[in-house]
Amino acid sequence: MSRALGTLALVGLAMGLVLGFLVAPRELTQGNVQRIMYVHVPAILVAYLAFGVVLIASIVYLVRRVDAADRIAHASAEVGLLYTGINIATGAIWGKPTWGTWWTWDARLTSVSIMFLMYLGYLLLREMVEDRERSARFAAVVGIIAALNMPLVHFSVYWWRTLHQPPSILRPGASALPRVFWMVVLVNVVAFALLYAYFVMKRTRVLAYEAEALA
Amino acid sequence: MADNSGFVVAAYAVTAICLAGYWRFLRRREKNFRQRSPRR
Repeated sequence: MSRALGTLALVGLAMGLVLGFLVAPRELTQGNVQRIMYVHVPAILVAYLAFGVVLIASIVYLVRRVDAADRIAHASAEVGLLYTGINIATGAIWGKPTWGTWWTWDARLTSVSIMFLMYLGYLLLREMVEDRERSARFAAVVGIIAALNMPLVHFSVYWWRTLHQPPSILRPGASALPRVFWMVVLVNVVAFALLYAYFVMKRTRVLAYEAEALA
Repeated sequence: MADNSGFVVAAYAVTAICLAGYWRFLRRREKNFRQRSPRR
């Protein structure tokens, strides 16, 4: 199952590359650098999904005390953090030629960084508390609180005046993108989501082995 | 506007390195546990 998911993700990523570089045209105002969007946007959309899974799994753990839910939350937070890191790094690389700076304390960039630090803290907390049951309980509480930051990240571009543009995909009404750009983003979102599922499956299995070894 | 292809290559390279690095980390961890307990 995980091998099939991994293969599908790889095929999706290859398709995304072909579509992004060979099918999607060069954007009129930004030129080639706009192609960074095809990894920058899917990375944050799937990170939202990952942190949503952390929220649900954390609630399930607190209510039912199921170890599997705790492992899914842990794995999903790790992969979500990886995707958020990719989003921040590719955003900085995109920012330099378009905004003239790698970084600015704009509301979107700042709120994404806070989200990154919150989930980094979530993972550090898991390592710091030795007792497994307590660590899982504390992490579940942090996993729920950290999710509250997600709407702040998404709506920051509406609530404050920002250098970052408003959302192109998750927005009221039709997408702001021409159909061909939108299709490439969609293919990459699916590929990134499949890869997320593959990583979470593998990481959950490793966490189960670790728990067995410690028992 | 300038071509800026170097920035595009850098962004895709960073993404590939991060994803491949994490995949490698998971593969190694799993392999270590499998070696310790061959029943899996």
